Order: sequence, then C-alpha cells, then structure tokens
Amino acid sequence: MTMQQKFRTIWVFFVINFKRLFRDKTALFFTFAFPLIFLLVFGFANRNSGTTFHVGLLNRSSTAIAQQTADSIKHGKVLKVDKSITNMSLAQQKMKRGQLDATIVLPENFGMTMHGIPSGQAQVIYTQNGAQAGGAVQSILQAQFSKINATFVTAKTPFVAKGVQTNEKSLSSFDYAFAGVLGFTILGSGIFGPINIFPELKKQGILRRLHTTPLRVWQYFLSIMLGNAVIGLLSLGLMYLVALKLFNLHIAGNILELIVFLVFSLLLILGIGLAIGGWAKNERQAAPLANIVVFPMMFLSGTFFPRFGFPEWLQHVTNFFPLTPVIDGARLITTEGFHLTQMGSQLGIMGAWLVVVYIIAFRVFRWE
Amino acid sequence: MADTILSVQNLTKVYDGKKAVAGISFEVKRGEIFGILGPNGAGKTTTLEMIETLREIDGGTATIDGVDVAKHPYEIRGMIGVQPQTPGFQDKTKLTELIQLFAASYGTKVDPKKFLEEMNLGDKANSYIESLSGGQKQRFSIVTALVHDPKVFFLDEPTTGLDPQARRNLWDLIKEVRDRGISVILTTHYMDEAEILCDRIAIMDAGKIVKLDTPKNLIQQLLDSGFHKDQKVEQANLEDVFIDLTGKGLRN
Repeated sequence: MTMQQKFRTIWVFFVINFKRLFRDKTALFFTFAFPLIFLLVFGFANRNSGTTFHVGLLNRSSTAIAQQTADSIKHGKVLKVDKSITNMSLAQQKMKRGQLDATIVLPENFGMTMHGIPSGQAQVIYTQNGAQAGGAVQSILQAQFSKINATFVTAKTPFVAKGVQTNEKSLSSFDYAFAGVLGFTILGSGIFGPINIFPELKKQGILRRLHTTPLRVWQYFLSIMLGNAVIGLLSLGLMYLVALKLFNLHIAGNILELIVFLVFSLLLILGIGLAIGGWAKNERQAAPLANIVVFPMMFLSGTFFPRFGFPEWLQHVTNFFPLTPVIDGARLITTEGFHLTQMGSQLGIMGAWLVVVYIIAFRVFRWE
Repeated sequence: MADTILSVQNLTKVYDGKKAVAGISFEVKRGEIFGILGPNGAGKTTTLEMIETLREIDGGTATIDGVDVAKHPYEIRGMIGVQPQTPGFQDKTKLTELIQLFAASYGTKVDPKKFLEEMNLGDKANSYIESLSGGQKQRFSIVTALVHDPKVFFLDEPTTGLDPQARRNLWDLIKEVRDRGISVILTTHYMDEAEILCDRIAIMDAGKIVKLDTPKNLIQQLLDSGFHKDQKVEQANLEDVFIDLTGKGLRN
C-alpha cells in the first residue's frame, strides 16, 4: 500500500463516520446541545454585570436634603435599593438571610440646619458577616456626601486619593466560567466519547473484524483524531457564537491562533480517551479508570471552580494537570489576547502530556 | 507447489505450558473447501487465528501463496478474508458506506453499488445495516470480506446457532465463494456440514491432526477396517421433514 492509499483510507473513515454522526440523535445531543445547555446555565449565573450592593433605605427625615440624598442613592448604579424594606425589623431579617448587604438609615434630624448650614449623619447598618460589604457601602456613601459637602463648604483638602481607571478590562466571572465550560466540553468529547464507544465496538466484534484487515492502528487513530478535531471545533465554535451574542464575550486574541490552540487541546484530551477506551475490554474496565482520571481534572483544573481560590500548593499541583493549561490557555487567548508565542508554559505542559498520552494509547490499544 | 495456497508446517501454540496446538502440518489446495473438525477445545479456532495473524505463532510456520504469515502479517491480511462468528457492523451506516469502509481498510477502492449488485444485495445498497434480516446480514458479512479479492477465505464455526434455513443458505454462499476461485477454510463441529461442504477435512483432537482426507475416503477407510452400523435405509431424515414443512425461505 502506498502512503497516499493509506491516507485515503483515513479520509474515507473520517467522511463516513462524520456523516454517521448526523444520523445519531443521541450523539448529536451530547456533542452540540449538552455543552450549550451548560454554557447557558453558567453564563446566566455569571453574567458580566459589575459589582452591586443590595441595600435597604430608611429615610426618617422630612427635609428636602434628605429627600434629595435618598433619590440620588436610589438612582446610583452601585447601590441597588430594595424597595420592599419599609422598617428596621424587615431590614434586619433580610440582612440575616444575606439577601441585603446593608441598610442605610437617614435619621429624623438628617439635613436640618445647624450653624447656618445643613448637616446630618447617615447610618450604615450591617451584620457581622457583612462587614466587608458594609464598609464598601459606607465608603460609597461617604464619596457621595463629599460632593454635597463641597457645595456648602469650600475647604482645602491637601491630601486626596483619586481613582484612575485604566483602559484595560479586567476579567469578569463570565470569562472564567466560559473557559471552564469550554474545558468541560473538550473533556466530554475527548474522554466520554471514546470510553463509551470503544467497549461497544469491541463487544460487537467490529474492531476485531477491522483487525483482520491491513488497517494500521495509527490509521485508525488518525481518522478518529481528524473526526474529533473537526466535530469538536464545530461544537466549540457554536459555544463561542452563543457567548458572543448572548453574554457579550469579546474575543481579544487572534482567531487563527485560537483555532490552532483548541485543536491542540481537543487532540490532547482525546489521547486520554483513546488510551482508556482503547485499552479497556469492556465498560466495566473503562468506567472506573475514566472516573479516576476525569474527576480530578473536572474539579481541580478550573472547569467549575476558578483555581485562584485554591490554596497555593494545590494551585501548583493542578498546574500540571493536562486540562489546566487547556482552560487557562483558552482564556488567555480569548479574553486576554495572548499569542501562542507568549504561552510557553501552557504549550510545554500540553506538549509533554500529548507525547506521553499517545505513546500509552498506542501501546495499550486492543482490537478486542 | 503451484496448486497449494496454504502450507502449514509444525504449527504450535503454547498456553500456560500446555500445547493448545501441538505442531500440526497440512496443506490447502487452490479452490478447495477445507474443513477443520474437532470437539470444543481441540485447537481449531487457535489454529485459524494464528493463520489469520490474530494470534502469535509460537512454533512452526504458515505460508499463504508463498508469503510467511509471521513475517509479513499486513501483507497476509490483504490476501485473506475473515468471517467472524457473529458479524457486527456499526449502526446508522449504509451498506454502500460499509463497503467503502472495508475497501478502504484493505487499501483498495470498489464501486460499492456495482459490487453489491454483483452480490445480489443491490436493492439494499442504500439501506442502513440494521434494516437487514439475519440471513441478509450473514450474506453481507461475507460480501464485505470479498471486496479485495482475497485468495483465502476463513470461517470460524459459521453456522453455529443458525436455523436450518440459514444454514443451507450459508452453505450455498460458501460454495459461491469457492466458485469465485477463492480457497475456503472453515471450522465446524457439524459432521453433516463437513460432509456436504468440504472437499477435504482434517480431524483435530487435543491440538493434533488425527486424520486428513476427503470425507468419502475417511468413511471408506472406516468401512474397510470392518466397521459397520446397523443398516436402516432411510430415504429422509428429520431435517428433511423440517425443511419440507417450513420451506427453504430465510427467516429473520
């Protein structure tokens, strides 16, 4: 057989199995719909909305200034006033349950004129667990008051702190969630696919039949890799489209580099699935091994929980999981605009795993 | 020898220190149906699997058309067709596509429609494999092993578990394969099958070939040695009754 014939064989396998996918409703659901459902759930839970505090507002003063202050608090963007709060006991209940971050009270004498100018002291009430949010609300209020103060007293303020916003967007929780869902999809197509399909093909003797032909393992693997890369890219592409339309995702990096990186990621994770599914004689061998490999990655590589919350030693360890650089890398290119040339550590870890995983997959593969 | 397609010399397979196949030798001629008979565990399947390159040969040699099986397994696989006991195909795939897949596996190309028509499966060409009846599947399975014009065709206990109709149909198919000039090697433990189908048979027991000859000669030798059975001349047997009552048509 010439080399050209050998590659034609791979192409025929790829084309026919690709067509087959679109006749298999279950496979279609798990390939395209399932990841989208995950994306929608995680997307809506982590929508890009900035930071807001939920507060109760009790205005006990009847002065015009108190009314103005209350209005300006209500129209502010950072403080969201819960209009159902009408008295202190209601406010305290909601704060206890964590539904309110703090309650702002404008006392009866707020805004009354003393020494020729109006004055007052607003109270910010918060629970012990809400100290951080309470402090923040207090500062926000203080900032609003200093503007008002300036209209009554022109005092020199020798020392001031001024906030300067940079032009760069910081990462929102959606950016982390999106990369995580991408990672989960890559994990699903690369590992859950082969560990379910291979034992079935072996049970039915389909692989054994192929084994009696001159087909080589590498040809068979390449046809699967090609199929997984193309179908995986379609599925991930669909997720990107939904994220762009629905969740204001902005792709900062180069699309071509992103595609190259995603194909690399798909093939790396597929190698793990090929090794497990190719080795296992039946489902009973495949399932436990797959769980041992998949679960640590699912929970510690940043799919569902961002890794920056982990203790430092755990971050170091999980850095070397195969899926971690996949998720980090997808995020770095997508939202931070990194180039592949800047991602040496990610690509290095992935490359090392790729070699290891495929050597194992080739060695342990069994046709029956 | 030009008319020898398969030559087996001293073929041996050892499992846990026990010889499952204990140095057997035989030759299969071009265009014949050769049967390997024997009780379960006699080493029939192991012998077949060694010649099919699926199992490592522990001792001796096997050559197909002059090509050494152990030295050139991939070349051998391109020269043989193998019918598994239970044919399985991936579902949601058309017959034409499966033919393409197998042709590709053998590194060749066929016109799948034309090929299926030749094999009397033309009307099913665009059907999915799961819509075929048991008998049609059996036929299709044999057809897939012929896409590359093999020189030798192997069947391991092809009729185990089939009803009399399907059995007869399969016998006809196997003869068709032989008539295409392909040598057929099959294992069985049905004596009637061997007698009807095989040009020559080897009887195996405990990893050895006990006897090898044509069915006629084997029976004659037994008779010559003074063996005789209580003679009851029956013009029909129970299977004839069964076929007469239920017809020759294939069932699902």
